[in-house]
Amino acid sequence: MLFEVNGLSKRFGQIAALADVSFQVRAGEVLGLIGPNGAGKSTLFECLAGVLPSDSGTMRAGGRTIGARQRPSLLFYVPDDIAPWAAQSVRWVLDFTIGFLRGRAALREEVIAQLDLHPLLQQSIGTLSKGQRKRVLLGIGLLTSQPALLIDEPFEGLDLRQARDIAAALRAHAVRGRTLFLSIHQISDAARFCDRFVLLSSGRVCGEGTIQELAALAVAHSGSRPSADLEEVFLALT
Amino acid sequence: MLLFGMGPLVGVSFISAVRTYAEVSGLNGTAAGVGEALSPLAGVWAPTFSACELAAVFLLPFVAIRLVAGDRQSGALKLELQQGMSSFARITAKTLVLLAGWLVAMLPSFSAILLWKSYGGSVYTPELVTLTGGHVLNAGLTIGLAAAMSSLTEHPSTAAILTLSITVGTWIVNFFGAVQGGWWERAAGYTPAAMVAEFQHGLVRLDTVLIALVLIMTGLGVAALWMRLGVAVHRRVYESIGIGVLAAGSIFACTFLTASWDTSESRSNSFSEADERALRQIHTPLRIEAHLAPEDPRRLDLEHHALSKLRRVMPKLQVQYVSATSIGLFEQTSAGYGEIWYDLAGRRTMSRVTTAEGVLETIYSLAGVAPPPEVEDAIFRGHPLAVASKGAGTIFYGVWPGLILVSAILARRSFR
Repeated sequence: MLFEVNGLSKRFGQIAALADVSFQVRAGEVLGLIGPNGAGKSTLFECLAGVLPSDSGTMRAGGRTIGARQRPSLLFYVPDDIAPWAAQSVRWVLDFTIGFLRGRAALREEVIAQLDLHPLLQQSIGTLSKGQRKRVLLGIGLLTSQPALLIDEPFEGLDLRQARDIAAALRAHAVRGRTLFLSIHQISDAARFCDRFVLLSSGRVCGEGTIQELAALAVAHSGSRPSADLEEVFLALT
Repeated sequence: MLLFGMGPLVGVSFISAVRTYAEVSGLNGTAAGVGEALSPLAGVWAPTFSACELAAVFLLPFVAIRLVAGDRQSGALKLELQQGMSSFARITAKTLVLLAGWLVAMLPSFSAILLWKSYGGSVYTPELVTLTGGHVLNAGLTIGLAAAMSSLTEHPSTAAILTLSITVGTWIVNFFGAVQGGWWERAAGYTPAAMVAEFQHGLVRLDTVLIALVLIMTGLGVAALWMRLGVAVHRRVYESIGIGVLAAGSIFACTFLTASWDTSESRSNSFSEADERALRQIHTPLRIEAHLAPEDPRRLDLEHHALSKLRRVMPKLQVQYVSATSIGLFEQTSAGYGEIWYDLAGRRTMSRVTTAEGVLETIYSLAGVAPPPEVEDAIFRGHPLAVASKGAGTIFYGVWPGLILVSAILARRSFR
């Protein structure tokens, strides 16, 4: 196990965005955070990354509690739909990631090739399309050196071919031991790509495990027929 | 845009100041009466560097807000925060970059000094260092304020509105200080505009400098606190209140400091050295009660030409202004209005004279100290110079904006 989260809660006024969220992240796995829009996926990632304060809950790794200050050494979070350093070129942003965010320079060319960033290197971030920007954000994440990489909606804004290429690139990094924790609202995408899942609905964890484990949980929960379809399992558990 | 605009801004001020200086110099400006007016500090440098004051109020805040709030707006802050660098180190780094940029923006003003020298003008380094330091401090105040507002608010435009509102607020304090007197007048003495005015006269006051530094540190501290998006809001509020209390205490303590230095060549903030020596012989605390309204021109005369200089030599001086109205117009017939009472160890005397010479004469007579003889050599005669601002237009309106444009293009290319 790489780390575990226990009893994480976050409220925005009267709204409980996260309620007593607990789950485990195993080293080297591709873990999918599944849930509809508004389920609290981005909030959960931001709380884990320490860029949003949580109201309660702990994160533990190696038998000890990981405070906000230790998190940058354990995980890196790539938010969805941001345009950081908009005036700078893609090349500058990748080099900045290596320099300032202590990224791995050895992976620079590989990541550029995997994400097809070569044609974009001279372009400034502000002029990129949503899909292009997403690829650059993924590039930033893949260059960082933390053991766990949290990516919010990695396939959002990508066409089918790009999504498949990027899934292959992410899998290649996972094979080498990088732990990927991906928030995905398209359940079919998640089912194809992830090893295990955390199902989140209205800020609560409804289930955690492989498709088979979740299917068994769904049977126990609702008495429905066993199904290997993640969408059916999700609907049964939420 | 800031760098581009600084050339023309400085150019307008410098060319106009040199023209006026030349006109005054042509009118036999070497006479003792107008000597002070022919000090390059007051005649050329204060107006030339005032372009920096203008830029610090209307341009620099937006640059600072863009640098600090832009990261939050674009989402870059969420990535940068995960680097592990402390927010205090981040804001310090950004401030240093902004201050370096500000020094570059001041280059047109520095080039004006070289131009003036090439015209044969006199340059007195200490007063120029003071003036430059004052404008750097003023820029620091702007950066501190803009950084704090950028971190406190969600949107850069809100930060800009708040920053300008606070700046306008300090102008209102200045206005109230001039009209109401009392505590308003005291507070107005520490506003950025008043601080810059002191530096423009070559005066360095320890309390003003330290208060400016405290305010800068407070602004940057608040900015750093609110940059930590991962810290609970209530904790950030408590910490901000803590910083505010600490700053208020420090500012209050600073107001008791009286050390100051007159770096102007004309000694425009000081009595003559002989008078200062004579005044230092008086160790008994002096109390002055002036029955003059805040807007009465005689009060301004008394304050600027006599009491502000007297405070520097006699730190234990107590001054109390008494008036029933702000303009004093309808108090003229009141008994006692216009009277200035001097009290030195129980010996009291009254005078209505508001000139420096009159005030000194009264104090000497009350203290039983012989007035020092006037030394002709000690009188500042000014540096008249009737020349045209040759080449200034080309440099400030052509060369400087061109340089900035070319540098911007080259910098953009090298970043790619």
